Amino acid sequence: MKKLLLFTMMVAIFIPAMLFAEAKYEVIDVKNGGSIKGKIKASAPIKDPVTEINKDQNYCGNSQASRTYILSSDLGVKNVLVAVEDIEKGKAAPKTDLILDNKKCEFEPLVGVAYVGQKYIIKNSDPIFHNTSLGVMLGEGKRRTVYNLALPNKDQAIEKPVRIAGMQSVKCDAHAWMRAYVYASKSPYAVVTDDKGNFEIKDIPPGKYKVKIWHEGFGEITKEVEVKSGQAAELDHTFSKK
Amino acid sequence: MVESRFKMKSGVPGAGFVLLFLLALSLVVAPKAYTADEGKALYESRCILCHGAKGDGNGHVSILPKTEKFGKIWKLNPRDFTVGAFKWRTTPSGCLPLDADLAKIVENGISRTYMPSNADLSRDEINGLVQYIKTFSPRWVEEKGDTGGVCTPIVINKPAFVGSPESVAKGAEVWKKMKCAECHGDQGKGDGPKSESLKDDSGHPIMAFDFTSCAGKGGVSPERTYAAYTTGIDGTGMPSYADSLNEDDRWNLVSYTLKLMHKL
Ligand code: HEC
Ligand code: HEC
Repeated sequence: MKKLLLFTMMVAIFIPAMLFAEAKYEVIDVKNGGSIKGKIKASAPIKDPVTEINKDQNYCGNSQASRTYILSSDLGVKNVLVAVEDIEKGKAAPKTDLILDNKKCEFEPLVGVAYVGQKYIIKNSDPIFHNTSLGVMLGEGKRRTVYNLALPNKDQAIEKPVRIAGMQSVKCDAHAWMRAYVYASKSPYAVVTDDKGNFEIKDIPPGKYKVKIWHEGFGEITKEVEVKSGQAAELDHTFSKK
Repeated sequence: MVESRFKMKSGVPGAGFVLLFLLALSLVVAPKAYTADEGKALYESRCILCHGAKGDGNGHVSILPKTEKFGKIWKLNPRDFTVGAFKWRTTPSGCLPLDADLAKIVENGISRTYMPSNADLSRDEINGLVQYIKTFSPRWVEEKGDTGGVCTPIVINKPAFVGSPESVAKGAEVWKKMKCAECHGDQGKGDGPKSESLKDDSGHPIMAFDFTSCAGKGGVSPERTYAAYTTGIDGTGMPSYADSLNEDDRWNLVSYTLKLMHKL
């Protein structure tokens, strides 16, 4: 009875503490690391949808390519985020800032990685009003503001620290079609696929990891990967449109 | 808690240890837990109807119709506290509000949203409600630490020139340069070219504030107007101009909005 009571109390105290504890990341020297590399493909060619433009057409034009499906001739998919999700120790993240530009009425880049502790440099290269709203994607369509900044004039740039980790969507409230995605990472182990759908993540401490593969149009999948010292673990995936 | 403690003492041999543990525990968590507990009871009687038992905004009255000027009916949802984003703060864009910010909203209610005032409650009771609301999102625990100065509250210190004709004239220029009319319209009626496609973060259409309706939802004071575009109104599309305008220009803008609201 006593034990049970104590146990119940411990659980009552520690479970919430565990749930609420933020994932920690510890920087260590990685000497015998391995890598993960691969190619993300589409099962069949897909046409990139055209975005209709209904505001500021004088400057923005009447339509633009949505850039959702950018495929190479061998069906490699560009702009796929590949991120080692459950990693608690590893190299320090690079000291690079993420430039997020409002340019020709779209965001550049469409998918980017930002590193916690570094900066967002949010720019407006257009002669019209833009605002840039970053928000954590909480699931079920819920979103929590990270920053929402007005950029009323051309060549304005605002720097803000990258503080909140996780997958974030980027919107311009004035132009509903504009969107981008930022993965804010504590580790350096998050990348975006190139024009051919290729990616490589280096210097990962050996171990088993969950790797998130995310694409705006195809959706998301998590795969388990074992990284061995001095070796490259192959991680390929083929998405098909449902 | 007190009751169960005595029951245990009489029932369990060697319960001294448990008693001590409980006592220590109650010392650590009791002061806060008590007010949040008190808050819970009040929440259940006053707030649950709209904000729901889980705090997710899905109470019995989860959609409130809200008629605005242009013959359009906009839906309005009670705040989903599980998201952890708040509109009327004195903290910068994307930051958690201060307890005092929440207390003000709870005390005054929110005009034009059906959210009633609770001015009849004591300070302690309102604080209890605030503490209880904060249990719905893990964000309050996760972001307890230092934010590296990012979330330092803004300073609101109204200068004497607010409302003067020179300040109104300067404010009119700021309004133009900052392109507020893109959403709020030339006359500030909320009918700018971007207004009809504005959506909030849950995907529902949202009205840009109509200045001719005089009172902002977050309050009627010039200080509250100043805060609105300094901090931005999170989750709504209303951005922060903290990095686009210096303090004087923001107060000049207050003067101009007073004119738009026909208060000068
Ligand atoms: C009749 C419905 C209703 C009731 C009852 C109600 N609310 Fe609300 N509340 C709302 C609506 C609607 C909003 C959102 C308004 C908006 O976003 O424009 C809201 C928003 C809020 C906010 C968010 C403020 C911000 O800055 O984002 C808080 C805090 C809040 N309510 C607390 C309470 C508390 C505490 C109670 C009970 C004492 C309560 N509400 C009772 C309808 C209600
Ligand atoms: C991208 C569109 C957009 C722009 C640009 C914009 N606003 Fe807003 N504003 C909104 C929306 C949407 C709301 C309504 C929020 C709500 O009802 O919850 C709002 C609300 C407000 C409020 C009311 C606050 C309250 O308590 O209800 C004020 C004041 C305000 N804006 C001032 C300004 C000023 C001044 C500017 C220019 C410096 C500006 N806004 C630019 C979209 C915008």
